[in-house]
Amino acid sequence: MLRMPAFTLQHPASADEAVRMRTELDSLYLAGGTDLLVNLKHRLHQAEHVIDLRAVPGLSGIETTDGAVRIGAMTPLAAVEADPTVRASFPGLAEAVASIAGPQHREMGTLGGNVMLDTRCLFYNQTEEWRTALGKCLKADGDWCHVIGSAKACVAAQSSDSVPMLTALGATLEIRTAPGTVQTVALADLYTKDGRYDQVHTVPRTSLLEAIRIPLPGPGHRSTYRKVRSRRAVDFPQLGVAVAATFDGPTCTSLEVVLGALLPSPRRLPTLAEGIGTPWTDDVIAAVADRVRRFARPQRSIHGDPAWRRHLAGVETRRALEALRQS
Amino acid sequence: MKVNGERVTAQFPDHFTLLEVLRYRLGLTGAKQGCDKGDCGACTVLVDGRPVLACCTLAATTTGEVTTIEGLATPEGPHPVQRAFDACGALQCGFCQTGMILSAKALLDREPNPDEASIRQALSGNLCRCTGYTKIVEAVKKAADTSISLPQKLGPAAEGFQVIGARGRKADAIGKATGATQYTDDLVRPRMAHGRILRSPHAHARIRSIDTSRAAALEGVYAVIVGTELPKPYCVIPWTPDETALATDKVRYVGEGVAAVAAVDEDTAIAACALIEVDYEVLDAVLTPGEALADGAPKVHERDWKGRDRRDNVCKKVDLAFGDVDGALAGAAAVVEGHWSYAGSTHGAIEPHCALAEWDADGRLTLWSATQVMHYLHRELARQLEVPESKVRVIQPAIGGAFGGKSEPFDLEICSALLARKAGRPVKILYTREEVFYAHRGRHPMEFDFRIAADADGRITAVDNDIVIDGGAYHSFGLVTTYYAGQLLPGPLRFGTYRFSSRRVYTNKPCCGPKRGHGSVQPRFPLETALDELAGQLGLDPIEIRRVNAMESGETTVNGQFVPSTGILACLDAVESASRWKERHGKLPFGRGLGVATSMYISGTAYPIYPNDMPQSGVQIRADRSGRITVFSGTNDIGQGSSGTIAWIVAEELGCDPDDVHVVSGDTQLCPVDLGSYSSRVTYMAGIAAREAAQGLRAKLVTAAAEHWQTTAARVLVEPGRMRHSDDGRTLGLVEVLHLAEARYGVLGSTGGYRTRQAGGDYRGGSIGASPAYSATAHVVEVSVDPETGIVTLENIWAAHDCGRAINPTLVEGQIEGSVHMGLSEALYEHHDFYLEGRERGLHKGPSLLDYRIATALDTPPIAASIVESLDPGGPYGAKEAGEGPLHPAIPAIANAIHDAIGVRLREMPFTPERIRAALEA
Repeated sequence: MLRMPAFTLQHPASADEAVRMRTELDSLYLAGGTDLLVNLKHRLHQAEHVIDLRAVPGLSGIETTDGAVRIGAMTPLAAVEADPTVRASFPGLAEAVASIAGPQHREMGTLGGNVMLDTRCLFYNQTEEWRTALGKCLKADGDWCHVIGSAKACVAAQSSDSVPMLTALGATLEIRTAPGTVQTVALADLYTKDGRYDQVHTVPRTSLLEAIRIPLPGPGHRSTYRKVRSRRAVDFPQLGVAVAATFDGPTCTSLEVVLGALLPSPRRLPTLAEGIGTPWTDDVIAAVADRVRRFARPQRSIHGDPAWRRHLAGVETRRALEALRQS
Repeated sequence: MKVNGERVTAQFPDHFTLLEVLRYRLGLTGAKQGCDKGDCGACTVLVDGRPVLACCTLAATTTGEVTTIEGLATPEGPHPVQRAFDACGALQCGFCQTGMILSAKALLDREPNPDEASIRQALSGNLCRCTGYTKIVEAVKKAADTSISLPQKLGPAAEGFQVIGARGRKADAIGKATGATQYTDDLVRPRMAHGRILRSPHAHARIRSIDTSRAAALEGVYAVIVGTELPKPYCVIPWTPDETALATDKVRYVGEGVAAVAAVDEDTAIAACALIEVDYEVLDAVLTPGEALADGAPKVHERDWKGRDRRDNVCKKVDLAFGDVDGALAGAAAVVEGHWSYAGSTHGAIEPHCALAEWDADGRLTLWSATQVMHYLHRELARQLEVPESKVRVIQPAIGGAFGGKSEPFDLEICSALLARKAGRPVKILYTREEVFYAHRGRHPMEFDFRIAADADGRITAVDNDIVIDGGAYHSFGLVTTYYAGQLLPGPLRFGTYRFSSRRVYTNKPCCGPKRGHGSVQPRFPLETALDELAGQLGLDPIEIRRVNAMESGETTVNGQFVPSTGILACLDAVESASRWKERHGKLPFGRGLGVATSMYISGTAYPIYPNDMPQSGVQIRADRSGRITVFSGTNDIGQGSSGTIAWIVAEELGCDPDDVHVVSGDTQLCPVDLGSYSSRVTYMAGIAAREAAQGLRAKLVTAAAEHWQTTAARVLVEPGRMRHSDDGRTLGLVEVLHLAEARYGVLGSTGGYRTRQAGGDYRGGSIGASPAYSATAHVVEVSVDPETGIVTLENIWAAHDCGRAINPTLVEGQIEGSVHMGLSEALYEHHDFYLEGRERGLHKGPSLLDYRIATALDTPPIAASIVESLDPGGPYGAKEAGEGPLHPAIPAIANAIHDAIGVRLREMPFTPERIRAALEA
């Protein structure tokens, strides 16, 4: 069978100890394992130690505090999907989480793990043998991006379903960057444009994500997530469209559209004035959808024809807006 | 760790997964290794009641209570979900079912009365390649409803029979449902070493040298071998031996084996492979038939097996014509022509190939292997290892799906045998999922320049097909494929004239071979979609044009194949009424459509792969004083249920319960030769052999009873469990009769065999495609197509299949449902595809069950299977094949339904949303 390289497990007793281990040891964090262990089997990482975050107390659970819902990073996806507060306040997040992989992955995987999911690429998420046959890429031990055919940048795709939705919902992250130091980082600010494992985040990879905070919305807030994929289960997104909007009667007062599975970062649309301050007539929706379609720049880093995925960005945005108009 | 209620201790390194520890440290082999990386769900176990993937869980981090399939049953018996899977015939190969059952149990614990949507959702992370999910969903529904009692006895038999035609439990179903059944990788031998094969990173390269010295010197390495130690070229078809177990002079595809290692464990074997230095001279590769046929193209094989220089990359060419095709084309009322492309696909059995070799002190080899052609493997092993055939024993343990993907000798079988001899200890090799994609032997990509003509009434007057077949690097069954692509097409629809030119071309890719519906699924795509276009031109209903052309029983095809029976008209009637075709076809709103297609398939090939006059199937029966009947058959039950079918037949003849018939199969030492599970031959051929053997024994029993009653054999009636005197009603129990017969004849036994009868057309190649009997199938598919996205949703599939006599209808339905699923999955999702440009040229696009997409339970619609019984005069009780024919129509029926829905014709596969959007915009 496909096997992992040998490593030693570490069981930190606290978040501070986990961060200290990650900083001092040649190591990786392990949350649910559905992605990390496969990446280790692919030999995408080599580490002497793996830090089991399940041992750390206080990283799991969903609570409402200070006008926000706080979801511990180690909360299983299945628990997020089933949580009544999440379903009531952020239906789009429940939809996004329910669309992740297969049922077993959602029992094992955690929201924090999904947020910190490594970017994906058809030329990267392969075995050591396969990547050796190709020649290693910029993302791992190489100097060439096979997607864009140059050495300039890694365009592996942000492939988490939760991230676009959480970004649209204005989520912030509680990140322990060093022992004793917890920073609050807006999810929208977490990403760079470089898809490499240790470059894609604006905080060091040694940081520990402890919780995701989502501000509780006021009245008239609606959200939805639409996922494009080949099969109705298991597959990563070929495109994710997350929409959050606030309505005052029929009039939209705020609109956020965030796209996933395009580039290394979630792609947040700049102000969509077309859709704000007006009821959503079909023409308004079409204008927003067209803007999103033109904004989308799919790459061949993941499965599916880029031109088709771009077309879908418009179609799925329109459908998302139509659904929110109805609800 | 607490497992199945017991606290267990095991020693293992931190990087071991829960799956490894359960399987290889604790002996809990019910959780299966399928895909390596969480893509298939076969390793599902429960941790604190939640379904998790054991292959993506570290054992050392598992703190909750683990429940494996072995822990589900109680002293009172199997869990209701396990019993429901058994009762509903929801198991075929059984390999995915342990995980499936645990996912179902977790659902039922959470939601005691789930609806179908919830069931499909809960099972959507568990891939099944055999069942089409239909009977699995039914089983979960039944398990949810505790008021339904589970049938344990046989259902009613067909009229005039005691067992034949009765629904009943599959042989070993409960063993599979409880995880007790042993597959090859579940076996462990004392001192067993683990093997690994080093594979080529180049699509085409000459091997200048291989240095294995560093690998051999690594601590824990027992043996290293290279290709020149196994120099004899071989092939399952003995006429075309063009491959060796490991490459000797050149590598011809990325993933071809060049050396192999046996070591104390897999990690050491992997490390040793990394120390082998191969010096390659990289050569230009040819990756498509177009490249391979170009002037001056590099040759995949410079010489053939007789040492003659090859002129080009064409490995086989067949040109055959029947009647005046050009005249018929010239005089036709309507002609449809064009170019069609059929995409390659692979078998995707959830069990990866695995072999375990052991030599005894007398130099005798035993090889356990996941093979569907034990006899051919037996012969080749003896040849490769240079030992007499009498010193080789091949055992096929339970097999986790095959579908043609395990139907010839593979590198791991030969390498494990040689490694075991050199290492002086047993050696097991288990493929990674990626290696399964390189071993391949799957569906050939084919290109068709196809023409079909009809007269004004819709009668097919001519079919003309130019076929280019992308063979990959070696022959495999390619000689046969090249014929089948043409020879199997005429039927169940009658052709006035027919011509085909078929070329199979070598390319630098993994070798293609026989996948379910070998060689004949592909040309059905142009035929059945062009026929729809023809119907449109002539103003005929698509079902009507098929009726106009339907063959009758006892007819001979235009290419000389005699078809003793065909139920194609009844199949068309069945799907027409079930789908309410007349009210709905052509009348549904834009975006919704119905499509039809038909097919015919062989029930075994008339001739064995190597010429001989011995039986193609042999059966021996032994009856003992206990009343147990033991049947020895060299068949390979690959999940389709052949052992059960044999038990049904023997039970029918002897008047006993099928549960008392113990079928010993899958062992070349114990069983008479059967050629294997391929070409849909087993029910027909082994069925006849079993019937003959059983009738031989029955005659002895009847005679013994008659002598006991001092009457004639004609007055002895065989009834369930007993014999009865027809005049006075006296009875003797079966055991009593066995005692009388043993006293009369000595040790009781009998044999039976199936022999080829002359068949096929009277011309060169006329015997290839000749079969003693042919099945028939019709599908109607209902689709929704989203015209904006191009995404196809399958709404319903009705499949009617003429299998002649359905010996156990539950198994036949399972074959129909599984075939339909495999067909729809390759039509919409699957593509065994390679990069053709750039630095990635020659690499497989996604050798994993994540990137190679097999339809999940959520992608698969309800499949309504109906059985048509057009009894075949030659088949056992009238039986014909059911395992492969029902796949063929799925692809063209979906294409035709897409046309009915949105008005576009697709001539290229798979039918991706991108292609559909492009067709709509064109």
